[in-house]
Amino acid sequence: MTSALTEERILEVLQEVIDPEIDCNIVDLGLIYAVAIEGAKVTVSMTLTTRGCPMHESIAYGVRMALLNLPEVEEVEVHVVWDPPWHPSMMTDEGRRRTGAW
Amino acid sequence: MSRVPEPATAPGGPAVVNAPSVLLPFRFILTGVVAFVIGLVLLALRPDILASYHYNQYVIAATHLFVLGWITTVIMGAMYQLVPVALETKLYSERMARWQFVFHLVGFVGMVWMFWTWNMKQVAHFGSALAVGVLLFVYNLSRTLLRVEKWSVVATAVASSLLWLGLAVTAGLLITAGKCSYESAETLAPSSFWGVVIHGLSNVATLAARFDQIGAMHAHAHLGAVGFFLMMLVGISYKLIPMFTLSELQNVWRARFSLICLNCGLAGGFFAILIRSPLKLGFTFLILGGIILYGFELNAILKARRRKTLDWGVKGFLSGVTALVPVSALAMILSCPNLPLNSFTGQLENLYGFLGLLGVISFAMVGMLHKIVPFLVWFATYSPHIGRSKVPALSDLYSIRLQVVCHWSYVTGLVVCSAGILLSHHLTVRLGAVTLLFSAFALIANLLLMLRHRLSPRISALPEPAKRPGNQAALIPQLSLSK
Repeated sequence: MTSALTEERILEVLQEVIDPEIDCNIVDLGLIYAVAIEGAKVTVSMTLTTRGCPMHESIAYGVRMALLNLPEVEEVEVHVVWDPPWHPSMMTDEGRRRTGAW
Repeated sequence: MSRVPEPATAPGGPAVVNAPSVLLPFRFILTGVVAFVIGLVLLALRPDILASYHYNQYVIAATHLFVLGWITTVIMGAMYQLVPVALETKLYSERMARWQFVFHLVGFVGMVWMFWTWNMKQVAHFGSALAVGVLLFVYNLSRTLLRVEKWSVVATAVASSLLWLGLAVTAGLLITAGKCSYESAETLAPSSFWGVVIHGLSNVATLAARFDQIGAMHAHAHLGAVGFFLMMLVGISYKLIPMFTLSELQNVWRARFSLICLNCGLAGGFFAILIRSPLKLGFTFLILGGIILYGFELNAILKARRRKTLDWGVKGFLSGVTALVPVSALAMILSCPNLPLNSFTGQLENLYGFLGLLGVISFAMVGMLHKIVPFLVWFATYSPHIGRSKVPALSDLYSIRLQVVCHWSYVTGLVVCSAGILLSHHLTVRLGAVTLLFSAFALIANLLLMLRHRLSPRISALPEPAKRPGNQAALIPQLSLSK
């Protein structure tokens, strides 16, 4: 049995994608800016902690793969954006705990 | 539903891939580490290289082994990886970089060997092979820099370091040409191709021989050490330290001025050293000004960081940077006009070179290797599995305990070796070199742990996503996305 495709479910799945340098998932890092669902197509708008991040390609790929794992998803678009730039205030409490950010 | 903003880098999809194949930096880094170990073994076997002050063939061979075999090789490999990624562009030619590796390897191995046997004609031949490689490297990265859309202080530092590298190699070749004899100039017709080449080299040699040879060697060394190595260290810091500590450049103008001071001090210092001018002290002050500005900027970046704990890779890098303090003090002393040329001054020069190359640059490199190699291994091994399987973090790829051993044994080795150099005490230098070698083996053990992931990746199935209490949508930061 599969769950309905909701923003909540998408975010749950994306919690399995980590930034391996920081060792924290991208949702708790506050990297996911927006999620749009249109039928079987999911569009994720996200950022990275810094421009020119060597993990750029891997993390964006990880988001695509994680969502394509869901049986309800047929198409994924990942937009990496720099505006607004990422800031630690975007992290969840769990993200702050894992990164030791103050 | 949240509104989706337009992508800033590549309309219609994710930003482009910039990194070259990981095999490219790997071959440079692994070659460099082998040269590092051979160099330390050499110091352990022949402590006289550091403990006594003579410009002999063994000192010059060992210096070029560390400088070209270890430091330059690793920096080149790292630059092929980092420059395109950090400056958000693509490497101009990966094929050219592979050819450069061949020229570089043949060139530095042959040079070190021929310095050891003091065959200057063969040094010139192998040096020319190395120079072809450096030309390819400088051309490749210059073309890469020309593709950069958003010029930055990091790009300026990379461009400056490439310029100084090219000039350092040119100066080295000129010095070598001045030490060669050109018997065939007597027999070759001046109008033939080889006649033109040999007569031209002979004329260059005559010109080069007019300069004081020690001054020329020191000037050549400074172009390489301060121009290429230090400039690269400074430029890389302005990108990597903010990236690893979750911070940002705090004052762009301060960073720019640090580069201006370094570049101006280096240009003036080169000629002052070459002609043994008392102005050398003034240019040393200028370089010191650049280093101080760099120190203030680095301190500001670290103060503004959001990651409370610094990992040992960053600590190693910063320890290397800290070694700039004694090196700068030694530079000031050695730049003083009318410094007595006695054996103690000679030992101070040895200490300056040792701490500059193995203290500042190498320590910073050992720290950064614990960041760069895990990334390369992770990228090659786990990148295709991210999002589909549970993959380890970078810090899971190696032993932090071994890294700490590597760090502190490196500090101990540096201190012991420095004491041995100052006291001209062979056994102490040997003890220091063995300690550094121990540290290098800890580094290698960790590199092997990292590489083990290539052979047996640790991938496991993803667990069912944990259902968190509360509103999941609250995990998306509340942003003002208007543009």
